[in-house]
Amino acid sequence: MLTALRVAAVVEAASLAVLLVNLATVHLPPVTQLAGPMHGCAYLAGIVLALSLPAPPMPSPRRGRALALVPGIGGWLVLRRAELNSP
Amino acid sequence: MTAVLLSVHVLAAIVFVGPVTAATSMFPRHARAALAGEGPAAPVRLLHRISRVYAVLAIAVPVFGLGTAVAMGVLGDAWLIASLVLTAAAAALLGLQILPAQAEVAAALGGESDTRAVVAARRLSMTSGVFALLWAVVVVLMIARPGSTTGV
Repeated sequence: MLTALRVAAVVEAASLAVLLVNLATVHLPPVTQLAGPMHGCAYLAGIVLALSLPAPPMPSPRRGRALALVPGIGGWLVLRRAELNSP
Repeated sequence: MTAVLLSVHVLAAIVFVGPVTAATSMFPRHARAALAGEGPAAPVRLLHRISRVYAVLAIAVPVFGLGTAVAMGVLGDAWLIASLVLTAAAAALLGLQILPAQAEVAAALGGESDTRAVVAARRLSMTSGVFALLWAVVVVLMIARPGSTTGV
């Protein structure tokens, strides 16, 4: 399940980067309309995965999971916690 | 672009929600057999795994659906609001009732106490059926679009 969280974290950050660069430069609507939902999916998937990870990879059943709510890097924050905790 | 977003939405619904529906509908029967010792446990775990993984992937369906609705300009339509409410109910049913009950059965097959698992397996027939019904209604709403000029 950590792989899934890894994918969600990468897509979350990368799609946000694409959206912001697009906004600052050419601002093509198709880019927004495609990268936007991808970013939303990754964000939501990251939250769901962070809530459903079992306790051994995550430090505890409760702490740290709310980090997934942080926009843009939430998935990566939870992933870091889980990876630091597993050998 | 609307065509792309709608295609992704429909494709994701077929490819991601389909397996959840199939696996959740097969699970109760096999779970009861395995808990009674009359059937193998591995298929039960696999069905739970399919339900869980594809449920997460199915997040893409409402997300791209909202993207399509924004592109089509139909966000305030009654049929869409009704569909969103029903979809939220189906997602809540899946995440708060069906998947936890399936997990309980899987844990019981792994050696833990199974008194609660037997009760959970019995309720799963009903909750899995209601889940399928909810999103079937959503599909019909999105095709017929009552109250809109663009319905079939």
